[in-house]
Amino acid sequence: MAMRQTPLTCSGHTRPVVDLAFSGITPYGYFLISACKDGKPMLRQGDTGDWIGTFLGHKGAVWGATLNKDATKAATAAADFTAKVWDAVSGDELMTLAHKHIVKTVDFTQDSNYLLTGGQDKLLRIYDLNKPEAEPKEISGHTSGIKKALWCSEDKQILSADDKTVRLWDHATMTEVKSLNFNMSVSSMEYIPEGEILVITYGRSIAFHSAVSLDPIKSFEAPATINSASLHPEKEFLVAGGEDFKLYKYDYNSGEELESYKGHFGPIHCVRFSPDGELYASGSEDGTLRLWQTVVGKTYGLWKCVLPEEDSGELAKPKINFPEATEEELEEIASENSDSIYSSTPEVKA
Amino acid sequence: MQTPLAIPVPVLRFPRGPDGLSRGFAPDGRRTRLKPEAPGSQECPVGQQSQESREQRARAALRERYLRSLLAMVGRQVRFTLHEGVHVTAHFGATDLDVANFYVSQLQTPIGIQAEALLRCSDIISYTFEP
Repeated sequence: MAMRQTPLTCSGHTRPVVDLAFSGITPYGYFLISACKDGKPMLRQGDTGDWIGTFLGHKGAVWGATLNKDATKAATAAADFTAKVWDAVSGDELMTLAHKHIVKTVDFTQDSNYLLTGGQDKLLRIYDLNKPEAEPKEISGHTSGIKKALWCSEDKQILSADDKTVRLWDHATMTEVKSLNFNMSVSSMEYIPEGEILVITYGRSIAFHSAVSLDPIKSFEAPATINSASLHPEKEFLVAGGEDFKLYKYDYNSGEELESYKGHFGPIHCVRFSPDGELYASGSEDGTLRLWQTVVGKTYGLWKCVLPEEDSGELAKPKINFPEATEEELEEIASENSDSIYSSTPEVKA
Repeated sequence: MQTPLAIPVPVLRFPRGPDGLSRGFAPDGRRTRLKPEAPGSQECPVGQQSQESREQRARAALRERYLRSLLAMVGRQVRFTLHEGVHVTAHFGATDLDVANFYVSQLQTPIGIQAEALLRCSDIISYTFEP
């Protein structure tokens, strides 16, 4: 029986969702943070999309958001010229890091000790989170606003993208190692540590490069301008979304388009696979996040696999054995839930 | 050649949104460990736990009975008691996820027979059928 994808829509934002990020897998599951132009980034349970809390404090559109690996901290980048670090368990603001222009991107190191920021002032900044009062280290070189900055190679290097270039920097020496030039605007960048792969989108292209050498590996063309793409952890699939409101799923090895999904009511700005690869999340101009199954029809999170029809007679027989309770005990618990329909209080007529 | 109609993947419920009242991060809500902690690391009055789990099992049994009663009702003639002393009969088709509406057919109303209809459960006081 053919099954059709049921996306799960996460509502709550009132303006376009421009960035999203998953945490790693923690003993409490994994989590998802979304950045929104309404200035109120939200934390959600990663596998269900259930809202957990909203980080309140920014005074402008939030352009970037990230979680640290164990989802204990969150960081956000906003149009109010600040980046903020938050306690992701309590929702409290821990630090406000002042910048000289709109901040667009934030990223934690693996050990959560350092935060990388980048934005319209064209500078990369590295903050030591254990010394919040200390001045950040600054790396200059970009000639246009920085859209995305990521730690890579076990935090020994930094990848940053501005409008037309992607640059690789050495963390220790703070110098540029290599750069790539594009004649179209770079819309997004994703770093996959296992395999050191960099996913870059520009125009209708989804390109894969080595994160170490920046050498190209392969690239695919989509039917429409793509704003974001994500590679599955096992590198079997990739998903991409952009200006035609659709999500595309490709086979990474063959480049074959496997599926496309309609559902969003506006351009898709960001798309990411979950850390276990079982679902991917998309954020759109329409103000929603949607969760999509990687394997359609599998029981996972809120999606429930359908079993073949059984005889209705069988279906009517109770399967839960509860011999300890007598009918009277069950009646007692059942009576808690019933309302009195016929009220004894007299109606007051006007 | 027409492709067969695909069935949308069923979901248990939709993701919960913000409550509209607070900023969230409820202290008891979020951090429930997925894997049970090592035995002896938690302290709980044993008697209270057992009473709660009995109640929970009782609730589960009642809930299952109710859901199976709905399944047994499919295709049967059901008599509904609505407000204002109105009684209608119909063939029960299905209910929705939250049991907010009943989909029925051949609804016999005081003003005629409706081939297909949705009855709001909030309008229903009681219903009865013979299995």
